[in-house]
Amino acid sequence: MRKFLPADQLARDERFNTITMQDRFNDPRSALGTGDAATTTAGARQKFRLTPERRDASDGARGLMHGIMVGEIQALEGAGRTCWDFDTAGVAKTSSTGAHSAGAAQNPSGDMDVPFALKLDMARQCWDEARHVEISIKLSDWMGTEIGQFAENTVLFAAACSSDPVLRLAGVNCALEGLAIDVFTTMKEFGDLAGDPFLEFCEDWMLADEVTHVKMGSDWLRKVTENDPERRKKALDFQAVVDKLFSYGGTRSDSDESPIGLARRFRALAGFTDDEVEAINDVSVQALEERRARGAAARASADPASATST
Amino acid sequence: MADPYRARAPFAPWDRRTLPGLFDVEDTARRVGNYKWAEMKLFEALGGWVATVPELDVKMRLGTHCYKHAWHAELWHKRLPELREMNPDRLAVPANDAMVRFVEALTEPEAPDQTIEKLTGVYRVFIPRFIAAYTYHLNGTSEITDAPTIRSLKLILPDEFDDWRDGEMMLQSLIETPEEAARASAHQLRLESIMIEAGGIAGPGTLGSQ
Repeated sequence: MRKFLPADQLARDERFNTITMQDRFNDPRSALGTGDAATTTAGARQKFRLTPERRDASDGARGLMHGIMVGEIQALEGAGRTCWDFDTAGVAKTSSTGAHSAGAAQNPSGDMDVPFALKLDMARQCWDEARHVEISIKLSDWMGTEIGQFAENTVLFAAACSSDPVLRLAGVNCALEGLAIDVFTTMKEFGDLAGDPFLEFCEDWMLADEVTHVKMGSDWLRKVTENDPERRKKALDFQAVVDKLFSYGGTRSDSDESPIGLARRFRALAGFTDDEVEAINDVSVQALEERRARGAAARASADPASATST
Repeated sequence: MADPYRARAPFAPWDRRTLPGLFDVEDTARRVGNYKWAEMKLFEALGGWVATVPELDVKMRLGTHCYKHAWHAELWHKRLPELREMNPDRLAVPANDAMVRFVEALTEPEAPDQTIEKLTGVYRVFIPRFIAAYTYHLNGTSEITDAPTIRSLKLILPDEFDDWRDGEMMLQSLIETPEEAARASAHQLRLESIMIEAGGIAGPGTLGSQ
């Protein structure tokens, strides 16, 4: 088995279809829709938080749950690959008589060995993510969705493909698992408002795991880069890029115009500072503004007279 | 109530534990180091394979089993300093070159249509070898002086049996034709041959000498 598997090589059964992130967001059934659906015809701001009151709440919640499921599959795969792709620091790469241990001779990550304890955490994350896949499949079934009813994009796994394990932690554990905290909190509230204790119960359990994963990621990021400020900066920059990517169209922010809210309390538990959460909010609000501008431009080109009224 | 000051036997009549054991401290440390290395290689392989198997149920089981073997590796890692090995990495080595080749051959299958080979290597060859090595160790070590290793073995062995059963059932559900059965057998034969050369997870003497 090779080290470093590209995202387009992920193994899937016949039910799965892969599309781009933009296409997924533009799926009219998606709760994360970022087109004109988020604004009134006049471009005025409107609440778009995923709640049972939304007309498209049913499809939106199903689509989001399916997105959670495929995201959990990729998170499982990403954590698993981190167990495999890197050698373990300190552990002999040869036997007592000099034979190379499996995989060591063909590792293109160079000297990017990872501590044994980090690998143990990644293995633990594998188990957690496997449970999350199980939970989200059962919840999808509960909500009346079949596997493959919505398409998948593999951006999450792509963030877990870096040749530097610290960048993987920054992109997946800090940025994407942070997003998962927001998503699960929104879905938990959705379950509460919809009178669905089953959904609320399961989301709360997954939320507990995600807080752990974010904390795990940020702790390792700090520890591994303790004496390497350049590497730490690179990792934090990558985290910001991933955060921005997943804020496309203002998907999550404090604004009710975003389908997903920012779970400030749980993010604080995971170790995010207020400034860090504020930065994510700023990125997303900026993306919201860009979305409004795109909507206004689209309306203006369709009907130049209406452009002046926005 | 009986007089609390009356002399009682230090070992209750039902406590039949004995002092003698097959392994001294050094032997035990060497074996535990081999166990740690083998469990590490297993959890790394299981983690790596998750992304390469299309079968969703198998994908999830591999993810779950990956953690269990990582935890076993951690238990052995923690046991080593208690066996006077203050640098646990020093003994976390393969028993011999054949064990290295075994892991190389075990982890060779990658393609999405090779799930049968992946599972055969783990659940029909590697894990039965863990069960055998751990059972021999459990039955042979001193019940009093090596109680901490016994405790770890008793925590680990049920995991190995559970995973073996899971893996065997997955294999039985995946193997639908005589050709697929032959594929599994051929891969098993190949890996068993290397394992025989290795003498087991802890090398020759893994199961004592006959």
